[in-house]
Amino acid sequence: MATNPMHQFEVYRIGPEIKLGEIDISFTNASLFMVISSIAILLIFNLGTKKNLLIPSKIQLLAELSYTFVSKMISDTAGSKAKPYFAFIFSLFMFVLFCNMFGMIPYTFTVTSHIIVTFMLAAFIFIGVTIIGFMKHGVGYLKLFIPSGVPIVLLPLIVVIEIISYLSRPISLSVRLFANMMAGHTMMKVFGGFVVSLGIIGGWLPLSFSVALTGLEILVAFLQAYVFAILTCIYLNDALNLHH
Amino acid sequence: MPKDSFKTRLEIAKNKFLKKKLYQDNQPTSSLGTAFKMSTELVAHVVVGTIIGFILDKTFGTKPWLILIFFFVGVIAGILNVFKSAKNMQK
Repeated sequence: MATNPMHQFEVYRIGPEIKLGEIDISFTNASLFMVISSIAILLIFNLGTKKNLLIPSKIQLLAELSYTFVSKMISDTAGSKAKPYFAFIFSLFMFVLFCNMFGMIPYTFTVTSHIIVTFMLAAFIFIGVTIIGFMKHGVGYLKLFIPSGVPIVLLPLIVVIEIISYLSRPISLSVRLFANMMAGHTMMKVFGGFVVSLGIIGGWLPLSFSVALTGLEILVAFLQAYVFAILTCIYLNDALNLHH
Repeated sequence: MPKDSFKTRLEIAKNKFLKKKLYQDNQPTSSLGTAFKMSTELVAHVVVGTIIGFILDKTFGTKPWLILIFFFVGVIAGILNVFKSAKNMQK
């Protein structure tokens, strides 16, 4: 039995080794769970929007609820100008949410507990938002780094600070999701190990902790997907409506 | 006829639901989210500042100085950012 709490994060190859030049692009368990969550999302939304009943079935209710949730979130944080980006933010939110939630099922692999996955998502958002900002405002987008009402003497320092906080966006976005998922799953595994090693006499306390942690982890899984999506909206808002 | 009455009932229920939503705009989740946001951003600012200092040091060959300066600029940026978020929360 694997007692190492980090064992659950191991990536291994499934099927044959595929090489593209020097890069290894074999199908791994991480790719498998990405495919599973994508298929689950597609299935739910295909089944949910097939029959438009006035009294929704359970799956239709799920699809409609998530649609209104994301659309409300976008209109609250980024305004009506962000409507064209709904599809992107919606798929981002659903993908992160489903990856997190699939990780909560025992013996599954949590895709979002790997920094490279979350960093790729965050870098994609960061580059996309920067391109959108320059497309909408041209060179004027650089005004984002110059807050209004700052004395000339302090300006060089403030500009450096603003540039640092702009560049820290993808890092904080990716590290938050990765650290929360990884820490939570490691902790659950550690408490699970305590239950086994303390046996039937002392194992009840860590078991109750484990149950509580599972509930907390489900909350965190949802919350991190929500935070990820809402921060994307906030960054998009900065790029679309340039003001300070 | 029964379909019509259902529609009016749905309308009433919708209005009630919307009124309720106005007051409790899912506060607990978003405040926990802000807590996560602030803590990681504080760290990220310092890390990014240090990385910028490291890269500039390598290009200009001024080994320890720029990394030191940019580390502290990163700390300042992180703290300022937390201040900004706290101010936004009080609004």
